[in-house]
Amino acid sequence: MQQRSDDRLVAYLDGELETAQRREVEAWLDADPAARRQLAALAESAHLLRLAFDKVVHEPVPDRLIAAARGEKTPAQAGAQILPFRRRANAQVVISRRLWMGLPVAASLFGLLVGIGAAYLGVGKLVLDGEASKQTALEAVAANNVWLDNAAGYFKLVVSAGDNPPIDVPATGDPHEALQKISQKLPQEGRLPQLNLKPWGLDFRGARLVVAEGRPAAELVYTTDNKAIGPLTLIIGSSRQPDISPTFDRRQDVNLLYWRHQGRAYALVGQADIGYLWGIANDVAWQLDAI
Amino acid sequence: MSSRQGLARPSLRLVSGKVPVSIRFGDQLIAVLPRLRRFARGLSGSVADADDLVQAACERALARQHQFQEGTRFDSWMFRIVQTIWIDQVRSRDVRKEGGDIAEDRLGSDEPVRRVEARLALDEVWRAVDHLPSDQRMALLLVTVEGLSYKEAAEVVQVPVGTIMSRLSRARIALQLQLEAGRGALRSTKDAAAQ
Repeated sequence: MQQRSDDRLVAYLDGELETAQRREVEAWLDADPAARRQLAALAESAHLLRLAFDKVVHEPVPDRLIAAARGEKTPAQAGAQILPFRRRANAQVVISRRLWMGLPVAASLFGLLVGIGAAYLGVGKLVLDGEASKQTALEAVAANNVWLDNAAGYFKLVVSAGDNPPIDVPATGDPHEALQKISQKLPQEGRLPQLNLKPWGLDFRGARLVVAEGRPAAELVYTTDNKAIGPLTLIIGSSRQPDISPTFDRRQDVNLLYWRHQGRAYALVGQADIGYLWGIANDVAWQLDAI
Repeated sequence: MSSRQGLARPSLRLVSGKVPVSIRFGDQLIAVLPRLRRFARGLSGSVADADDLVQAACERALARQHQFQEGTRFDSWMFRIVQTIWIDQVRSRDVRKEGGDIAEDRLGSDEPVRRVEARLALDEVWRAVDHLPSDQRMALLLVTVEGLSYKEAAEVVQVPVGTIMSRLSRARIALQLQLEAGRGALRSTKDAAAQ
């Protein structure tokens, strides 16, 4: 009988009883203080259970699982290894700021040029230095593809979550505070300077820790009322790969604009058109001195 | 909203020359990954085993994507695949650390835990779940953590609704007793420290 009573209480808490059964349980609760205490204890333990497991859904999803969901094999398990952040001392600037500033003007032309399968020709854009020359071009392209696949996957998680994107540090009050907090989770040299994309109509919603090129990175999540633009994410992580100039790529219906500069990898990810992404990337570059 | 419409296109493309994945199917799979990891973590009790389980489930789901019926719950379908693989694994090898201490990687997060008591309480929850028989654990995870109805959980596990109800009840009572016992132990430790 006690087991049956517990069944009823649990089902009552879970909203699984018919109206008549609910009334019966409520009458029982009114009359029996022990049943009320039992109900409160069951509710509390259920709350603790959800709290304990809630942490898991806010963890970054490992690269290999995103790759598996996309039907791909992870080419190198080393990609999941977290390595110390290291800035390259003699990084080459492969494009001048002046030229970079001129890029938005040429965005439409660029879109035309890169439209023909640029995604699979990224190797031609790599500027290999002495260190990276030890790596074959094929491996470089594979690694590059994996991190961009993941960047697109992380973006899809944000889109799928709708109004509640997965965020480790929400930008509830001062957005700079959120940037500071997520920076504290990154290695010393990965700290993020202040970044304001308000002029682009983008609201900073917060940030989460992800993995880019096998290292900790920050994914900054921006939303906008303009549904045609949709949400955008900006991933900033450390990189040991050579610098590359801003490069357009595409994964399914997701546009990516990525580049590497002085030990950092950047990817601007969204479903907005490429001209818009170029404009924002240009602004990011100025604000973060990232080109 | 054009961007969302783009996500819903049921076109097929070949990804990396491996498995042809429908765009919509791939999107759904990626979106449900965090919850699959949570479910698998509860079943297996460790981060590495859980992620292996989810990876295997993704591979199986892609191989059988034609079996998924549009209009039914995708998450339930994936939970069912995860639990089927888990049962197969349990039958073939003992991968679970029954009754042991909580694995260091259990919480799997680098988030600092500010309150020791809160952490101990959550550790106690994991320990309590760890001690449950697997059928009760599965019912608890599907209904109380993942929010499935009894009917949906029954379909995932492929048992009658009444069975889910009784398993769930036993699991909830066991969880509650274990947490109360943990609190008692914590109080005793505090009292001893105070003395």
